[in-house]
Amino acid sequence: MTSNYNFAFLDENTKRMLRRALLKAVAIPGYQVPFGSREMPLPYGWGTGGIQLTAALLGPDDVLKVIDQGADDTTNAVNIRRFFARVAGVTTTERTTEASVIQTRHRIPETPLREDQILVFQVPEPEPLRTLEPREAETRTLHALADYGLMHVKLYEDIAQYGHIATSYDYPVLVDGRFLTSPSPIPKFDNPKLDHSPALMLFGAGREKRLYAIPPYTKVESLAFDDHPFEIQRWEHQCELCGSDESYLDEVVVDDRGSRMFVCSDTDYCRQRRAEQAA
Amino acid sequence: MYVAVKGGEQAITRSLQLLAEARRGDLTVPELSLDQIREQLRLGVARVMQEGSLYDEELAALAMRQAAGDMLEAIFLLRAYRTTLPRFGYTQPLDTNAMRVRRRVSGTFKDVPGGQVLGPTYDYTQRLLEFESTAPTSPLQAEAPLPDTMPRVLDLLDAEALIERIDAGVDPEPIDLTREPLMFPADRATRLQNLARGDEGFLLGMAYSTQRGYAESHPFAGEIRMGEVDVVICPEELGFAIEIGSITLTECQMINQFHGGNGLPPQFTRGYGLCMGEGERKAMSMALVDRTLRCDELGEPAYAPAQNQEFVLSHSDSVEASGFVQHLKLPHYVDFQAELSLLRTLSKQHAQHLNAEETAAQETSS
Amino acid sequence: MMLAAFAHPVFDSQRNFRELLQAMARPIAPRAMPVLAPAPAPILPASMAALLTLCDADTTLWLQQPNDAVAMHLRFHAGVRLVQDPADADFALITEPASMPPLTMFAHGDLRYPDRSATLIMQVDGFRGNAGKRFAGPGIRDVEQLLIEGLPGEFWQQRAAMSAQLPLGVDLIFISGQRMVALPRTTRVLED
Repeated sequence: MTSNYNFAFLDENTKRMLRRALLKAVAIPGYQVPFGSREMPLPYGWGTGGIQLTAALLGPDDVLKVIDQGADDTTNAVNIRRFFARVAGVTTTERTTEASVIQTRHRIPETPLREDQILVFQVPEPEPLRTLEPREAETRTLHALADYGLMHVKLYEDIAQYGHIATSYDYPVLVDGRFLTSPSPIPKFDNPKLDHSPALMLFGAGREKRLYAIPPYTKVESLAFDDHPFEIQRWEHQCELCGSDESYLDEVVVDDRGSRMFVCSDTDYCRQRRAEQAA
Repeated sequence: MYVAVKGGEQAITRSLQLLAEARRGDLTVPELSLDQIREQLRLGVARVMQEGSLYDEELAALAMRQAAGDMLEAIFLLRAYRTTLPRFGYTQPLDTNAMRVRRRVSGTFKDVPGGQVLGPTYDYTQRLLEFESTAPTSPLQAEAPLPDTMPRVLDLLDAEALIERIDAGVDPEPIDLTREPLMFPADRATRLQNLARGDEGFLLGMAYSTQRGYAESHPFAGEIRMGEVDVVICPEELGFAIEIGSITLTECQMINQFHGGNGLPPQFTRGYGLCMGEGERKAMSMALVDRTLRCDELGEPAYAPAQNQEFVLSHSDSVEASGFVQHLKLPHYVDFQAELSLLRTLSKQHAQHLNAEETAAQETSS
Repeated sequence: MMLAAFAHPVFDSQRNFRELLQAMARPIAPRAMPVLAPAPAPILPASMAALLTLCDADTTLWLQQPNDAVAMHLRFHAGVRLVQDPADADFALITEPASMPPLTMFAHGDLRYPDRSATLIMQVDGFRGNAGKRFAGPGIRDVEQLLIEGLPGEFWQQRAAMSAQLPLGVDLIFISGQRMVALPRTTRVLED
């Protein structure tokens, strides 16, 4: 553990600022709370929001898991885990079931989460309306009025043009029937896991200086129309390593003739299944 | 059998070793000392301090060496260090009127009290590569010492009431952008703070666009001054001011023609630029962009990118921009997979649709 | 003599925060404040623990029953700014609910920034399960029931009026002894 820095890197004033903002975020589910995001020793866009939230949460007894794309061994996940092992000396794990805090980029673990776990999402763009309306002053007003017509029109135009809603990740959700919210760039496959989750879910966008929360057991609806209900991705394949036909699959190019194979994106889930099969 | 890619940790460790080796270069060449960087690359050091928002030449030099001369990386290093520093107190506002001027030029009057002082500038070098070292052999002696302080050029116009007055007394306490998030609309103090940390290249491009018709701008360089200014604090428990040192600053005041509007009379208006160390290009760019961003206050028609404060202020920071542009090299394969499967569905539909149309066309023609 | 604050400020605030966070995320369910802090009367050690965990020079606090010892203690240990007007407070400490100002006196936020609203820490007489009102909403799986003892008679009417303004509102943390219960603005009170 590096002793030149405070526990978990951030100074106590910054942690208190984050903690106050987190309590408000939980009290107003799905609402983006502006916060005084600090410059972290990792670049913006690489998880600085998630890292600040995790730093505000962590204590010496926590067990931390960090995943990127569902995997524990992607370089950025390794690097963030290394960072916290260095500045907080916390125990880290690759097992979903062993973790008390899980920081993630782009996935929700396949293994169901528990009430005593907290999931921290890294968020690049917290504003679900941003691609439709770039001005922050304007999107704030739309949220104030709960005016989400822009998004409904966009999804409807997708259907008119393609016969489908052409959004496959970062699929917008309505939290507790009030705030339109970005689930972060998780595939829409993971959206149902947001609804009435036993675990508290926190979202941090460092560069955009916003954080928000989905409390446990909260209604989270993926936007849809009566005649075009929300659907998740499905594969014709099973995982070639563990045989799962329920998990989100990565497509891997295995040779220079372009042959493909499909494997679980959640590496811990896949490994546990294989261990069970071997036993 | 396929084995998922492992070994991220080892790959990172090896990459760090390679980086250290590449950074040091040929071991037979002596390593740069921080003194050498501070003394001989002072403009680079100044830029790292400006955009790193930390006045410390030693640390800026260290960051430059560690970043192998990549200025944006050096700025990032300094910012990340700065985040962790405790605040001991706040200084009194810097008094640039009392600057011990080393350079001072004005484009608006042929001569001004105190004179035009070129000082150390690249302006009139002939940009010929100097293959021989041109180090002076002995220190220069001033022919006549410069006055301790020089009046501001813009105050001369002020006496005639031709230039807008800035009443320091009504200036509200600025927020600290490094502690609080940027909110829109941002007031002028907040905007200036953002610009002062902004990327020089971005500001230069924005400023240039205002000169080329993307905004209404008729600027004159009222005064550019560079020199040393004392830093003063007034600790509550002492109750009196103490000078804790001095720093080098570059200040630019642009004068802009204004025909009146929004209830304001015709007058010259001001654009303001200030940066730590020597940074004339930065200070001038900042002053132009500052003036342009006052379009709402002055009732000017706003149509150009440089007039749009959300556009300018949200994209001026090199640490934010560099991080987000470069984050695209992180793995995105989960989302890419989602897009791939969507595209396959859409393309299948498209093909079916084409087939159906063709069949229909054949049936009609037969 | 000045009382001490947390023995281990970094770790004690972290532990308290995690429980406060879970309390806010799971409204109505009572939890224990892990690390108490010495407090001058009429502040309870659990309330002081919440204040020291969350307040500093960047926050404002309104005290219902201010006194010199309390003011000095909070200024010294938290650097918090005490305010006279409840509307200016980020946090408010209610030590005698029977005589508290109406909830409308505290900052409710504005529609663009509903987070700019007060958090009230209220010392109450006690909590009794399987009694009192029934609650639902974010953080509550089915329904929670709890009797919060010692609230003023108009409290629930005021809260119902406030709920009509969502997402504006205030968030409450009730303290009794070492236990705490959160009532964020989104928690719905079910009709009996």
